[in-house]
Amino acid sequence: MSNRSRISHDWWAVIAALAAVVLVKAGILPNIPW
Amino acid sequence: MSEAIAIEPLPLAIPRRVLRLLPGVALLVALGYAGKLAEQLLRDYGKAHHLALPQIEYVLWAIVFGLIVANTVGVPQIFKPGIATYDFWLKAGIVLLGARFLLGDVLKLGRISLLLVGIELVVAIAIMTVIGRWFRLKPKLTSLLAIGSSICGVSAIIAAKGAIEADDDDATFAIAAILALGAFGLFAYPAIGHLLHMSDRSFGLWAGLAVDNTAEAAAAGAIFSDAAGKVAVLTKSTRNAMIGFVVLAYALYWASRGQAHEVKSKAAFVWQKFPKFVLGFLFVSALATAGAFQPQQMASLANLSRWAFLLTFAGVGLKTDFRELKRQGLRPFVVGALAELSITVVTLVLVLAASAVFDL
Repeated sequence: MSNRSRISHDWWAVIAALAAVVLVKAGILPNIPW
Repeated sequence: MSEAIAIEPLPLAIPRRVLRLLPGVALLVALGYAGKLAEQLLRDYGKAHHLALPQIEYVLWAIVFGLIVANTVGVPQIFKPGIATYDFWLKAGIVLLGARFLLGDVLKLGRISLLLVGIELVVAIAIMTVIGRWFRLKPKLTSLLAIGSSICGVSAIIAAKGAIEADDDDATFAIAAILALGAFGLFAYPAIGHLLHMSDRSFGLWAGLAVDNTAEAAAAGAIFSDAAGKVAVLTKSTRNAMIGFVVLAYALYWASRGQAHEVKSKAAFVWQKFPKFVLGFLFVSALATAGAFQPQQMASLANLSRWAFLLTFAGVGLKTDFRELKRQGLRPFVVGALAELSITVVTLVLVLAASAVFDL
């Protein structure tokens, strides 16, 4: 794998996680069960 | 860092690329959820029949189910792109895990981790270099094995391969050694930890220091306990953050011998190799420390992190193909096993000493 794709992979994971944080914070995902 | 299998940069439209991922992701969800159900069913059965059954964590079930599928019926091609996303779920899970850490804890544990990681790096590189010379391995192969065993497994090897211009065969050899030992460590480390009655923090530190791939380190920690899993991820992330510096040192060494290209900007090189999810983890941890989340929201983020790890653990099982490892021959196992055994013992002593000093 190239370094380029590794970096974009890292950033996609960060973006997705932060999007989830925003959704939880905004109350759009109010209660995630386990 | 875990084995970072990329989603190949194919010239496909985004909807088509997402569609390609669906079967594999569905398989990760199915196996992960089956693991969670198996844990519940076993616990409920034990309670209903008043039996003292062993508490087998969902993590272990998910990995075992993945291993069974990969090594019996095999994984059809249609599932492979989606299964490769296990690395994405791992990194997203680590970022979300930040909600379960206050920055004070990160700094305290991070300081201890950083100290131990520094010692572990020097010891692991020295051990691998000596063993490489004993077995008369090619010098660049020894460099790859040293980088893989000291920092973060497969993706460190891949990052270093380009930087030091090593052969494909050397990289394949080094990756086989790291993967085989990762699979072994998954089951061996938690058993040793329980045998030695290690605390959650001590075991998490040890798993984070000694297990080479991030997914396996997280899994080994979580098999021991939930709290140990958190510490293992933090320690392993500290180790991952060192990747740029170690690969840079090797790139400069080989360039000075005229056997690799020159590094133009050292700062840009380190930044390029730096695992960005560590920044995401620190950012979410800072938000949690600043009181940005209510208790219910913290619980939701923690649960989201668990779901992401569940998919990762199913992927760890699915990507471990014992037939492929067998095809690589015995030498990677012997060289890797000797080095890893030494690193395991050294890191265990380090952690036990640190536990006594820092009262972990």
